[in-house]
Amino acid sequence: MKLYDYELSGNCYKVRLFLSILGLNFDTKPIDFYPGREHKSKALLSLNPLGQLPIFEDSDATFCGSDVILSYIAENYDKSGFWYPKKQRLSIDNWMRVADEITATASAARLHDTFFYDLDIETARAGAHRLFRILDEHLWFSEKRGDDWLVETPFPTIADISCFPYVALSEEGGISRMDFPAIRRWCDRVKRIDGFITMPGIFPTSKAA
Amino acid sequence: MKVDLSQWHPVASSSDLPLRHVYQGQLWGHELAIWRADDGHVNVWENRCLHRGVRLSIGLNEGSELRCLYHGWRYANRTAGCTYIPAHPADAPARTVCNNTYQCIEKYGLVWSAVAPERSFETPVTLTDTAPLTLRAIPINAPSDLVQKFATDYPYGMVTHKSDTSMTLQSGASELQLFFQPVDSGKTIIRGLLIPQPVDPIVALRHHNAMMTPLRDKIELAVSGLSPPRAIEVEFKPVAKDLAQMPNINTAGPKVEFRAKVAKKWITSQNVMAFRLEAFSEQFPTFQPGAHIDVSLPNGMLRQYSLTNGPGQTDHYTIGVKRDVASRGGSICLHDDVQEGDVIAISAPHNNFPLRRDAVKTILISGGIGITPLLSMAQALKAQGLPFELHIFVQTAADLAFPEILHDLDGLTKTYMGLSPRATRNVISGVLANYVAAQHVYICGPGVMLEAAREAAKKCGWPDEAVHFEYFKNSKEIDYKTTFEIALSRSALTLQVPAGKTILQILRENGIEVPSSCEQGACGTCLMTVIGGEPDHQDVYLSTKEKASNQKIITCVSRSKSNQLVLDI
Amino acid sequence: MTQHCDDPVILNQWHPLSSFNEIVVGQKHRTVLLGRSLFYQQTAQGELFVWSCDNVSFVLPTKRAYGFLWTSLGIPPDELFAVGEIDEPDRQNVATGVFGVNVSFGRAIENFLDMGHFPFVHTGILGEEPHTEVKEYDVDVSESRDEIMATRCRFYQPQASLASEAGADVDYIFRVPHTNCALLYKSSPGYEAEGRMDVIYMFLQPMGPEWTRAHTGMCVIDVANSYESIRYFQQIIFGQDKSILENQFPKRLPLDSRAETPIRADKSAIAYRRWLAKKGLTYGVIPSI
Repeated sequence: MKLYDYELSGNCYKVRLFLSILGLNFDTKPIDFYPGREHKSKALLSLNPLGQLPIFEDSDATFCGSDVILSYIAENYDKSGFWYPKKQRLSIDNWMRVADEITATASAARLHDTFFYDLDIETARAGAHRLFRILDEHLWFSEKRGDDWLVETPFPTIADISCFPYVALSEEGGISRMDFPAIRRWCDRVKRIDGFITMPGIFPTSKAA
Repeated sequence: MKVDLSQWHPVASSSDLPLRHVYQGQLWGHELAIWRADDGHVNVWENRCLHRGVRLSIGLNEGSELRCLYHGWRYANRTAGCTYIPAHPADAPARTVCNNTYQCIEKYGLVWSAVAPERSFETPVTLTDTAPLTLRAIPINAPSDLVQKFATDYPYGMVTHKSDTSMTLQSGASELQLFFQPVDSGKTIIRGLLIPQPVDPIVALRHHNAMMTPLRDKIELAVSGLSPPRAIEVEFKPVAKDLAQMPNINTAGPKVEFRAKVAKKWITSQNVMAFRLEAFSEQFPTFQPGAHIDVSLPNGMLRQYSLTNGPGQTDHYTIGVKRDVASRGGSICLHDDVQEGDVIAISAPHNNFPLRRDAVKTILISGGIGITPLLSMAQALKAQGLPFELHIFVQTAADLAFPEILHDLDGLTKTYMGLSPRATRNVISGVLANYVAAQHVYICGPGVMLEAAREAAKKCGWPDEAVHFEYFKNSKEIDYKTTFEIALSRSALTLQVPAGKTILQILRENGIEVPSSCEQGACGTCLMTVIGGEPDHQDVYLSTKEKASNQKIITCVSRSKSNQLVLDI
Repeated sequence: MTQHCDDPVILNQWHPLSSFNEIVVGQKHRTVLLGRSLFYQQTAQGELFVWSCDNVSFVLPTKRAYGFLWTSLGIPPDELFAVGEIDEPDRQNVATGVFGVNVSFGRAIENFLDMGHFPFVHTGILGEEPHTEVKEYDVDVSESRDEIMATRCRFYQPQASLASEAGADVDYIFRVPHTNCALLYKSSPGYEAEGRMDVIYMFLQPMGPEWTRAHTGMCVIDVANSYESIRYFQQIIFGQDKSILENQFPKRLPLDSRAETPIRADKSAIAYRRWLAKKGLTYGVIPSI
């Protein structure tokens, strides 16, 4: 397995995180995303014409898009079957659509504030805010039912992996999580998953009681 | 909108505070770090570490302490006092570094607090004798007076009660109480309580959440055209003057300024009486492992006892006192005369025996009653998952004090009973063999055992800085026969110290305030810096290196070999 | 972010705008310095221009130094501070890429000078528990050179060099020759005997009193560490610091000695605050009461 990776990319981190949780070894090819824009180079465009990271290679196949990669890894390498259970796939895929929306808003805000990308910051922040309200409400009521994760399962799934990074990095785009206490508690739970690793901007939490 | 910092408001739901989590709140622009310790106590602190201003809400709730993410400073449950600064592992935080706290009370499924309360919390009259259902809190980006105005139209029932901060709506036999928490000038959180608890809580929760959402949207639409109000400017309190300067050596004194109630007195082992001391209204100050308190006894004596408390156990002090028939009467007084319910005067904790938490392994060696400070250390190390061994030397099993604490440390302790002095020395040599860098050993016990342990450590190659010892008493014979002079370099005074009097006494007789505690050369409190002359060390506190450097002196017992000593005071 | 700056102490200095790596020849670039929007451009002939967005005739002076374009909104000194190492021919100057951080430049400088956070913020890279001790170091404020030097600094680093598995104490020297620029010197691997040092620099561009554009980079001798890996490393370190910096309050650096609680490990930070106060700086700081 080989991951074309950028250390500060939340989308690449989704794959790194999942591979660490599953305890899998893989090769990394660091890409100079910023400021080198290597992901737009001819070499990488030939692998992913969309010019995006992460790109993942396994057994002569190439995969692009973090949700596609997560699904692939879960289907082929997750012996437990908990991470992408067949019964919940529609629901999980739905949450991965939400994760894309989070990328389009919260991650965009972060690109603007941190990397000086030229885009409409107010729209990005407002969009993230709207999504976080939905996410917080969903998680709050899930907690009341005794569920800890996005999908109604006793274990986390790739839905949680997919939504987590850009939520946890939202403050780098000026989006505070103070109004979203259920999201903050869910972030603590994700950080306590066995095999959790951090990325710059995401800190570990204390050990559970 | 009028800002009233004295008002009490709900700032969190109880369910916002699961264990090992920190909730980020805000009241009138003041950010709050709210966390529940493992013992259930709820802490509401200013959301700012006083070191470099980093938010405590991103800190780590480790159950009994909150750890700041920037430099790892640790703050105790209840007191918010700093218990450890990793950058200087050898020093107990030199003075009471303490984060700012707010009063709080947990009731009705909510946590209530106030920025600058003028009165203690009074249960809102509408809530007395109720067991409500706490609704999901709804943050709204609008000022609280506006939110309240719109809330009167909330589709529930008639408004039967209104105050500055809350509103009650009645619908048949049920009541909905809404509290308007002013987060900032442009943000409010509606916290609702439903009385009585409905038959199906989830249905009710979903219903009200669904009703609150359009209310919120309506209010936010109403303010959307307006420019947002200026955020409330929060003034940060300056830190105490002594904390703002570079720290010096701890000069805590023997002032017994706290009244403590003997909440519990029990026999913890043969000859050792344990005492649990609790404060009246104020909160006891923070302690660190290794600390002791001065206890003023009814017979007029002042004695020092180490705290056995584990981390975060900040609502009491526990000490263990060994009955010593050969002593001057202090322990006998405590055993026989002090009873449960009595009030005694104690000092704040001092720590001349601080625990480093950066060792690759910590070895604790205790003899007899010397176990008390080491119990506190062992519990702190265990809570942090730091590697350690506790070696306990006692005469018999009946002499093992605090068995309940030892039980929790099971597996990390080794007990040796009835060994001869020689056998003890051999065991200690074995324990201390194979010294590796960054190991530390802490020894507390009878003088003879300490001497043996220090010798063994030296033989096994332990550097002076890695060997820490605390003498409970100085059993050496003090020679008071010499006469000499002391020159006080900063006070431009020269004084005579005649035979039979100590440096400490002479200084005090001349109006110079010097802190002290044991006054027998064991605890180190009366330590001073020497800048000239050759001290005659008679104490058991300073290390060999420190004694050889001639730069320090324990003024309660030590004297001078040269005609004159120059002290840096 | 567009708060007007009227503090002469900071206006009359050179400030960095961009690494030349990030300037596309012939293209007009836009940025903000001290609350003012600026355009900058490098022509095909290599000429440099910086001018105000609101006023085409407000043209600013330019300087090329250490791989960066510098400018000033006031009357800067003739020379920028000297960093001899950067001009040495056998070195690689790797600029990391500029990052935005929502805090004042003063807080970022203090973070750069601080070692106590290595085991907690840069865990496993620059420090590791239980080796948290910050041993006593020396701080000297030179009146003649108008800079701060912190020497005899050492801190335990887990993997002291790429070759070794074991950790060891690494020696550092910190230098602050400018209100918003700082340098870190450490022994260059393989050149210890000659006493040659690698330099890590942080040149901060204050966009607003609480917004900073951080230009960082490393100037190294050893080519074994590839350009990309140096850049990666720097970005990880900065990314980890950024989220701490953005959680500090107040965002402006408080210069009053009673604002926060220093310990002995903070000697260089205290010297920096006093130095700024002495200069009479008011922008991006909370002056003493």
